[in-house]
Amino acid sequence: MPHKILIVEDDPDMVTALRMPLEANGYEVYVAASGQEGLQKVKEINPDLIILDVMMETTTAGFQVSLQLRSPDPRSEYAPYRHIPILILTAIHTTTSLRFGPDEAYLPVDDFVDKPIDPEVLLSKVRALIEKSKAQ
Amino acid sequence: MKLGEVLDVLMAAAAQVADADAVAVLLLEGERLTVAARRGLPNDWPVPVGESPADREALMGQAVTVGEAERPDVPFPPGFSSLLCVPLSLPTRPLGVLRAYRRKPPPFSAADAECLLALASLGAAAVQSARETAELERIEAAKSRFIHVATHELRSPIAVAQSLVRGIVKGYAGPLTDQQQDLFSRVSARLDFLEHLVNDLLDLAASRAPELAEEECAVAVNASVGRAALLLMPRAEEKGVSLLFRPCCEELAVIATEEGLDRIFVNLIENGIKYTPPGGTVTVTMGQKEGEVWVKIADTGIGIPPEAMPHLFEEFYRAPNARAINAVGTGLGLTIVKELVERYRGRIEVESEVGKGTTFTVTFPAVGPPTCGLS
Repeated sequence: MPHKILIVEDDPDMVTALRMPLEANGYEVYVAASGQEGLQKVKEINPDLIILDVMMETTTAGFQVSLQLRSPDPRSEYAPYRHIPILILTAIHTTTSLRFGPDEAYLPVDDFVDKPIDPEVLLSKVRALIEKSKAQ
Repeated sequence: MKLGEVLDVLMAAAAQVADADAVAVLLLEGERLTVAARRGLPNDWPVPVGESPADREALMGQAVTVGEAERPDVPFPPGFSSLLCVPLSLPTRPLGVLRAYRRKPPPFSAADAECLLALASLGAAAVQSARETAELERIEAAKSRFIHVATHELRSPIAVAQSLVRGIVKGYAGPLTDQQQDLFSRVSARLDFLEHLVNDLLDLAASRAPELAEEECAVAVNASVGRAALLLMPRAEEKGVSLLFRPCCEELAVIATEEGLDRIFVNLIENGIKYTPPGGTVTVTMGQKEGEVWVKIADTGIGIPPEAMPHLFEEFYRAPNARAINAVGTGLGLTIVKELVERYRGRIEVESEVGKGTTFTVTFPAVGPPTCGLS
């Protein structure tokens, strides 16, 4: 069974750039064009990994999606999906990215990839996150 | 204080000094007076503007007192018996008028008028200052908005285009001929440059807008240089340049922002790597001397010709030998570095010999133990 990856990204060209290397490496790619649609598709598809753009239609959409998915509330409708690794796309300056990383309270995600996307970096992070989550 | 708050304070003070039951402030918008604030007047009474000769006389610079029925051309709110109208003026021009109303006798006296005139001249200065503050805030907000828009709207399409091209170059859109591979690689290099340029322009804009920066604190220099070296280590390795970092034994700190100090060291070390041929070395050392912290970034690179030295920190300037080796550069890096160093009360010096290498030394006033950058 190929691994399923959900890309939550509102820019169709960026989706293409992500899709090319992922599909070439046998991943099954699904796309949501907004945070809301992303949350919906998480329930429908139950993906193995979520790639999430932090800044979409609003600057907080990506943050809200990750906070909802990682809600500590066991009654949350997203509780069954809490374990799905999240890789975020950022466009932060190189220097600031030194201090910009996963943070349980602020941005509960597993790893991040800087834009522009380097396909090899993307693939190695995707591989590592899926392996780690399957091992748990 | 915001204009609304200034007007509230002004009206409260006016009611007190003139023993008035109601007050209105009318401000000029172009040639016309408009009601800016009112208190104590009947809600259903629309303060008449533009038709009261009392306002016109006050705008000429005098205090005007009028009793009800004395002058049928001056409109009165129902239930009020006297009006005192004074100019709100700067020494150079009128801003508007301040009207005070009393319900019952006695009518306003000459002493009331004098008190209100004195208050109004203070009030005019406060109104003007609030308006200038609001204008500055508007400009600042516009500037921040521009930088935000530039960040997103300019960088985002470049990042998308670059991501697509990288996918093509790596063959994810199918095999490429040698010529296509070469052409797409050139497109990719141009996009890299564009991304760099936009980032540098944004950094420069940010370094010139201190209010956009984080608050300054005592930043640990060791940690800042360490972060920069760590970030650039892969690039040095890739190029075959040794990057040596000798942290100092002491906890040195300078007053700066973490991001700004990191940016200084990242730019200088990055330059060192860029202009040093494979096999060369970039060495970063630091220390403290006579109340100052110094950091030296020394490379064994191509060096800077003497004729380029005076222009080194100018915007968009690139030394001819730097252009010649075709290294990607925007000519903004050192401008940004110098502006940041000076903002943090430091100085930057450069020594160089063509073919031997370049040493940049940045020096800052030393301060006590670090208060930020400890995380």
